[in-house]
Amino acid sequence: MSREPVTLTIDGREITVPAGTLVIRAAERLGIEIPRFCDHPFLAPAGACRQCYVEIEGQAKLVTSCTTRVAPDMAVRTQVTSELVRRAQAANLEFLLLNHPLDCPVCDRGGECPLQDQALAFGPGESRYIEPKRTYRKPIPLSPLVNLDRERCVLCARCTRFCDEISGDRFIELYDRGAGERVSIAAGEDFRSPFSGNTIQICPVGALTATPYRFVARPFDLSSTDSTCAHCAAGCAIRVDVRRGKVVRVLARDDVEVNDAWICDKGRFAFAAPDRPERVTTPLVRARGLEPASFQEVLGEIAARCRGGRVGILVGGRLADEDAYALSKLARTVLGTNDLDHRRAFHGGRAELLAAARPMSVTYRDVEEAAAILVVGLDAEQELPILHLRIRKAARRGARVFVLHARRTRLHDLGEHLLVRPGHEAFALERIREALAAGGDGPEARIAAALAEAGERAVVLAGPRLAEHPLAADVALGLAERVGARFALCARRAGDRGALRAGVHPTLLPGGRRVTDDVERGQVEAVWGPIPAEPGRDAMGILRAAAGRELDVLYLVGVDPLRDLPDPALARRALANAGYTVIQGLELGELEPYADAFLPAAAAAERDGRVTTWEGRPRPLRAARAPLGLSRPDWEIFVGLAEALGADLGLGSLEAIRAEAEPLLAPREVPVRSSAWGAAGPPQWIEERVLFTYPLLVDEGRLLEGATELKAALEEEPFAEIHREDAEALGVADGGWVRVRTSAGDAVVRARVGETVAPGAVFVPFNQPGLPVAELLAGRFTVGVHLEPAAEPAAEEVA
Amino acid sequence: MAVLTPELRAQAEAIVARYPRPRSAILPLLYLVQSVEGWVSPEGLREVAELLGLRTAEVEAVATFYTMIRPRPTGRHVVNVCTNLSCALRGGRDVYAAAREAAGLRPGEESSADGLFTVREEECLGACDGAPVMQVDFANHERVTPERARELLDALRRGEVPAPSRGAAPRDFRHACRILAGVEDLA
Repeated sequence: MSREPVTLTIDGREITVPAGTLVIRAAERLGIEIPRFCDHPFLAPAGACRQCYVEIEGQAKLVTSCTTRVAPDMAVRTQVTSELVRRAQAANLEFLLLNHPLDCPVCDRGGECPLQDQALAFGPGESRYIEPKRTYRKPIPLSPLVNLDRERCVLCARCTRFCDEISGDRFIELYDRGAGERVSIAAGEDFRSPFSGNTIQICPVGALTATPYRFVARPFDLSSTDSTCAHCAAGCAIRVDVRRGKVVRVLARDDVEVNDAWICDKGRFAFAAPDRPERVTTPLVRARGLEPASFQEVLGEIAARCRGGRVGILVGGRLADEDAYALSKLARTVLGTNDLDHRRAFHGGRAELLAAARPMSVTYRDVEEAAAILVVGLDAEQELPILHLRIRKAARRGARVFVLHARRTRLHDLGEHLLVRPGHEAFALERIREALAAGGDGPEARIAAALAEAGERAVVLAGPRLAEHPLAADVALGLAERVGARFALCARRAGDRGALRAGVHPTLLPGGRRVTDDVERGQVEAVWGPIPAEPGRDAMGILRAAAGRELDVLYLVGVDPLRDLPDPALARRALANAGYTVIQGLELGELEPYADAFLPAAAAAERDGRVTTWEGRPRPLRAARAPLGLSRPDWEIFVGLAEALGADLGLGSLEAIRAEAEPLLAPREVPVRSSAWGAAGPPQWIEERVLFTYPLLVDEGRLLEGATELKAALEEEPFAEIHREDAEALGVADGGWVRVRTSAGDAVVRARVGETVAPGAVFVPFNQPGLPVAELLAGRFTVGVHLEPAAEPAAEEVA
Repeated sequence: MAVLTPELRAQAEAIVARYPRPRSAILPLLYLVQSVEGWVSPEGLREVAELLGLRTAEVEAVATFYTMIRPRPTGRHVVNVCTNLSCALRGGRDVYAAAREAAGLRPGEESSADGLFTVREEECLGACDGAPVMQVDFANHERVTPERARELLDALRRGEVPAPSRGAAPRDFRHACRILAGVEDLA
C-alpha cells in the first residue's frame, strides 16, 4: 500500500498520505472525524450506511469517504466546511433513525453507542417522522451468546463482513432486500463460531447483544482496566469491565501487533470462574480436617516439611512471568531441587532450547506478511485462536498455507492439509525435506516448493502435537533452517513460554541455560548462588517419584494432575504416597482429600504482572479488582515460603523481579547441534489404531467454570472422530456408538465418521463433559486403541 | 429424502464445474432445485449449500434476495404481474386483479387450491415500454388487458402454451427453471 505518496486537501488543509489511502482515513490523520457506521479499519470498505458523505471538488454528487481513495490534488470538503455535507449527513441520520426505537435507556449500548453519539453530534435535533415504527419479535437468539434486535439494526453489515472476511465462519448473512433486508441465520443453525462475540463489539448500534451482559450494567457504572487475556498464549489486549467488584464484561482492545481488534469467545466470555463459590480464598491446613489458618501459619508448616526434605514441584500453565521466575529461583536456591516442571508433555531438544533462549523469532506481523506458512502439529483455531485469524489474514493476502496435522483444522478452506498419523509428523517433515532436492508432485513436494520459493518469507509454526515425539520439533526446525524460514515452537497456555524462559523446567535455568552445563549454570549461579548440578525430574518423573515414596513434599501450583496430565492412575498413587501435599491455586476441586495445605492464589484479573505470548512478547496483566479474601499473587506466596525457610529471594516487588530477570532473559545464542535424527522408525503400537487427544477451545477446564452461555454455544459432547476407512472396516456408523478401549480404560462415545482425521487415527477431545479422556491415557497424549461398535449406553453410563 | 436424485446431482456438479468458483453456481443450482420442488425448501437450500461447500446462510441470503426463487410451494404456472409505476399507470393493478380472479384465488392466497396457479405482484420486470407486463413462467406478455389476462389463464388451464410477446415459452414453471438452471434449452 505504501506506494507513491499523494497530496490532497481536506477542508483546505493539505496532507500527504500513501496512495490507496481512503479519504476517511486521511481525514482522521488531520483530526477530522467524519461520522460513520459501516466503516471499520480492519474490514474491507462497504459503503453500506451512507453516513460518511463528503464533497469532492469537481464531482457532481457527494461520495462516501469510506470507499473513496485519495487522488493527487483532490479537494475534499467534510461537514466541517460544507453545508451541503452537513445537511446530507443529518438527513442520513434522520433516515437511519426512522425505524430505530428510542429505547436507549434500556439498551445495553446506551451510553457507548456510535448511533447515539453521532446522532447527537451530527444529526437533526428532531425527526419529522411521526408514523408508527416497525416492531419485530425480539431478541432473536443467533446462538446462546448472541442476540439480535432487528429494530435497532442499521444494516451496516459489519457483523456479516466480519464473518466473511475475518473468521470465515459465514453463519450469518444479510437476507432479503429493500425494506425486508435483515441480518439472519439459517433456520435450525446456531452461530457456532469461536469468534462470534466480535460481531457484538463492532455492532455500531445495540442490534447485537451478548446474553451474559444483557441488562447487567450501564457503561458509566463500570470501572475498566486495560489488561491482557490470560486464557492462552495469544496475548490479546483486553479491557476488563468490573461492576461492584465483579467482572461483568471483557472487550477486545485494538493492538495491530497482536490481536488487531479481535478476541475469541473464550477470552470474552469465560470470566466467571474466580467468583464461583468453590473458590477458596483462605489458606488451609490439615488438622482434623482442612481448616482455615493464616498465611504465616501455613507457610511455617510447609517450610517445616520442606526443610531438609525432597521436594517436587508441578506447575500449570497459568503462572505470570514474575511468578515463574520467583518459583524457579525458590526451587533451586532454597528448596535445593531441579524437580520442577510446567509441561504437560515432553519437548526437549534444540527447538525447546531456542524457545527458552530467543524470544520473537516469529511475530504476528511475520505471519501476516509471510508468503508461505507451514503449520505443524497445531490446531490454531482451537489452541491459539488469534494466531488462527492472523494465518487467515495472511492467506487472504496471498500466503500459501499448509497444515501438517493428524486432524483437519479450520484452516481447511484456505490451506492445504496433509493428514498424518499421530507420531508420524517427523517423517512427513523428512519427506518434505527430501522433496526440496528431489521434487515430485505430491503434497510434500508442493509444500517444499512453496517454502523454498518463499525463503525468508516462509514461516514454520510448530505446535503441541510435536511435543511427545523425540526430536519431531527439531526436525521441523531443521526444515525451517534449511529453507531459511522463520520458526516458532508455539506454546499454547498463557504461562507456558514465560515458565520455559524462567526455567520452570527440570533441566533448563532462566534463558534456556542448561543445568548440566557448568558454564551456563555458572552464569545463573553468579546471580542466584549455588544451584544443584544434577538434572531434575520431568512432570511424569515427579509423579513417579512421589508414587514411589521418594518425595517428602509434592507442591502443586495451579495444576490438577488428575485432570491435566495423561496418567491419572499414576497421579492418584503419587498423591496418596507423597509425604506432604501442598496445593496452590484458586480452588481444591478433586484434590481436596489429598491436600495437606492449601495456598490461595489471586486470579489473573486480580493482580499485576506479565505474561509472554507464543511469540515470546511480554504483555502486561493489570489488576481489575483486588484479590478475593486472603488470596495473593503466586510470586508473593513463593517469596513468603522462602522467608519461612529463612531465606531472602531478594524479590520483594514485581520491579525487583523484572530487574533481576532481565539480564538473564536477554536473547542468547544457542549452541548449534545437528539433530541426531534418522535412525529410529515411527512409533509402533501393538494396536492397529492410535487415539490422540488435545483440548478444544471450550472444554471442562477450570477457568471455563461458570461460563454457562459460552459452554452452551460452543462446548461439544464427547465424540470419537474416525476415518471412513476405519469405520467401514469396523462396522461403525457415523453418529453410532463406539467403544474405545486402551490399556488404561475404556469408554463408549458417539462416532463421527469422515475424512477429517488420518486413517488409523482416532481423535477424542481432551476434556469434554462426562468424559475425562485422561482416564484412557497411559502416560502420553497418544495411545494405542481398540475400537468396536457398541450399543447405546444406559443413561448413567453415557459419556 | 434428498431433493436431487443422483442424476440431477451429476447435472449439478456439471453446472458447478462451469465456474471458476463454486459460489458462482448458487443461482443455477437454486433453479435446479426449484425445477424439482416448484419452490426451494429448507432441505433444498441445505443441499445446494452442501454441494457448493458453503454455509446454508450464504445460499439463503441469495435465495431471499431474488424474487424468482420462491420460498413457498407454487402452482404449475407462476404468473407475475408488474404493479410498479409504469405498469400501474397503464392498468397493471387491474390486470393483477383479473389474473387473481381467473386463477380463483381468495383474498390472502398466493396459490390456487387446484395447484394450477401462483399469482404474484411483482416489482419492475424491466419492460416498461410494453406496460402493463405480465409474466407467465418467466415469459413476458406485454400490453396486457384484464381480458387478455383472463384469456391467458384460461388457455393455460386448457393445457395450452400461449405464445409470449417475443420468443418461445416454457411449458410450465418447473420447465422454465430447468432452462434457467442451464440443463435444458428452450425448444
